[in-house]
Amino acid sequence: MSKTLTRNPIGRALQIAVGAVCLAALSAGPAHAEQKKISFLTWNISDQADLFKEWIAEFKKIRPDVDVEWLDKKGTEFPPYYQTQVIAGTPPDIVNTQGGLWLEYAAAGGLVDITPYLAKDPDVRKRFNADYLSNWVYGGKNYMLPFYISKSLLFYNKTMFKEAGLSGEPKNFEEIMQYAEKMAKGEKTGLVTLNFDWLYWPFFKMNGVELLTPDLKKAAFNTPKAVKALEELTKATANGGINKVSWTGRWVEPNGAFAAGNVGMLHAHSPAFFFVKGQGSWVNADTLGVMNIPGGWATPNAHGWGISKGSKHPDIAWEFMKFITSDKSTQEFSKRRKVLTANIASDKVTLDAMKKDDPLAASVLQTQIQNTDKLTGNWPLANDSRVKDAFYTEIQNAVLGRKTAAAALKDAEVKVNRVLGGR
Amino acid sequence: MATDVLTSVAQNPSRNPPGKSGGAGMSRKRKRELILVWAFLLPSLAVFFLYRVLPLLWNAVLSFQDFSLFGETKWAGISHYQDMMEDEVFWTSLWNTLIYMASAPVGIVLALAISLMVNSNVRGKNIYRTIVFLSYPLMTVAVGIIWRWMLDEKVGLFNFILRSLHIIDHPLPFLQSFELALPSVLLANVWQILGFYMIILLAGLQNIPQNLYEAAAIDGANGRQQFFRITLPLLRPSIFLAFVIGIMTSFTSFDLVYVMTQGGPGNSSELLVTYIYKAAFVLGKIDYAAALTLVQFVLLVVLTWVGNRLSGGDAGAVETD
Repeated sequence: MSKTLTRNPIGRALQIAVGAVCLAALSAGPAHAEQKKISFLTWNISDQADLFKEWIAEFKKIRPDVDVEWLDKKGTEFPPYYQTQVIAGTPPDIVNTQGGLWLEYAAAGGLVDITPYLAKDPDVRKRFNADYLSNWVYGGKNYMLPFYISKSLLFYNKTMFKEAGLSGEPKNFEEIMQYAEKMAKGEKTGLVTLNFDWLYWPFFKMNGVELLTPDLKKAAFNTPKAVKALEELTKATANGGINKVSWTGRWVEPNGAFAAGNVGMLHAHSPAFFFVKGQGSWVNADTLGVMNIPGGWATPNAHGWGISKGSKHPDIAWEFMKFITSDKSTQEFSKRRKVLTANIASDKVTLDAMKKDDPLAASVLQTQIQNTDKLTGNWPLANDSRVKDAFYTEIQNAVLGRKTAAAALKDAEVKVNRVLGGR
Repeated sequence: MATDVLTSVAQNPSRNPPGKSGGAGMSRKRKRELILVWAFLLPSLAVFFLYRVLPLLWNAVLSFQDFSLFGETKWAGISHYQDMMEDEVFWTSLWNTLIYMASAPVGIVLALAISLMVNSNVRGKNIYRTIVFLSYPLMTVAVGIIWRWMLDEKVGLFNFILRSLHIIDHPLPFLQSFELALPSVLLANVWQILGFYMIILLAGLQNIPQNLYEAAAIDGANGRQQFFRITLPLLRPSIFLAFVIGIMTSFTSFDLVYVMTQGGPGNSSELLVTYIYKAAFVLGKIDYAAALTLVQFVLLVVLTWVGNRLSGGDAGAVETD
């Protein structure tokens, strides 16, 4: 036999190779089978790559049997990517999402109900601001944990206020409109607002307008109060009080217009501050004012962590989520990203440190944990994006002068009711 | 080479007589030729089938279903198509798409004028050619962002120029106006594709033999007559090519509209292709988006057929001689 093998080197080499593969498989087999892998998908936050790698390394020390993979997608790429992964049967175990998207996923049964996990780990629930945590409730079940939080507030240009002879902050909707009109002159406009994800809704809410009936089954906004509010917004838009980019641009344009120093007030969420500060050389504590909108209403635009229903390791995913929302993890994230996380202890540490280092940024972030009982524009609707689209296109028709406020609201009512009726 | 062989096999009955296609009657050489042809073709056909035919078929099925990402998918019949008939955004986007396509001839006329200019003996013609062509290789997203700023109501270059020339008193909200948003995007689109049209037409112009013009001049033809009797007829294939490509790219143009207006304000600049994206990935109506896609596909097929007919009915045919 050995003689034959010596004479046939190819056959011998093959035998050795097969033997080596079998040995490798036998020795590596059991350990490989124990190794588990989870992945987490984030929403356009690749700037935190270093921190995420640190999280993964630290978690590996706690759970050496688990490999964690991190993926990040830009906002426009996120839904197509996640949806195709779901269809392919390989969704990321943990998903970071925001806006109304999580509601659609939760309502369609795509996210794991984490209420039992929260019941089992009551300390995790206690970590968070209860209002922000309840922002992630659909049908009485909690589907996500807060990752980082933001809600709308009003920034104002003190120099433009002074030039227009305005003293003090506006105290109600009428004063906001009056202030805006007073500052409108030439290239300057009085107010610009972000418009995505219901961020403009506080202007209606502060006028006592409700979008839907309490059971969320019918439109409730077509009222004289809403017509009046919309007429005011339209009038201010027509005379330059409100910059038209409020109703067309999404993020960069409205914030950019304010940063250029040509807009008196900016209604936006807290991340806008860092953009404005980066773009506007005029921004400092003497020139930029920060306030909650009169009445304290604000639309949240928070990011959360959820577990995909298709996850093969939901318990490990929960363990990882607990780890990354711990005081230590959130504190580090909060420090590096300059955002709050709804983790009460961590946010306090961040704000205390920021008050010393950057008082203006601290005053912006402070608003994010005030009046959290007055969050609005966050209805738990499975078809939130469709309702939003039906309503907003008609609001655009009014504020940009294509329809009267009354006609636009009437048409919006028909469209919203059609969406709510399942059409 | 492979396609030549296949075409010759298919088009030359004498080499492949009826009743003797393959089997015992086929020579070994012919068999080997055919195997070679299919060996070359199969990878491409497999890719085409996997990435074109299969998704299209699945899309067609999807358009008749109530699709759920996470739950059970149900049969919906033609309900999405019925919804489409009542969907005013669909009709608006379809109409806008047709307008968008109609901008192709405008661009071609402009490109023709520029091509004639840079094809003449004008001084610095190479510089002009470069300047006009420069817009084409630019990323469409970058073009969209540049034009968005240029058309800005408050700080835009267009308003600055128009006001400086006292053409307008008040700045125009180009991208915030229901009437001006789509024309503004069309302007940017024509500007970007102009260089591409120019190159096609310029190549066509340079292929026209000079002796035709010389002969015409001797016969007393003036410039206008030379243009309409020589240039335009001989440029017809190039114009047709530019036209077909222009129409097709207009039909699927997504990025410029998405960057400049996102289909707004309202739905005033919504195109069919942007509405498909919005329906699928913003509104979460993947099944409805599939129905819209199928309608768009049918329209594209019709357009291609019309284009083929206009070109004499043999566009894409392989010449074997």
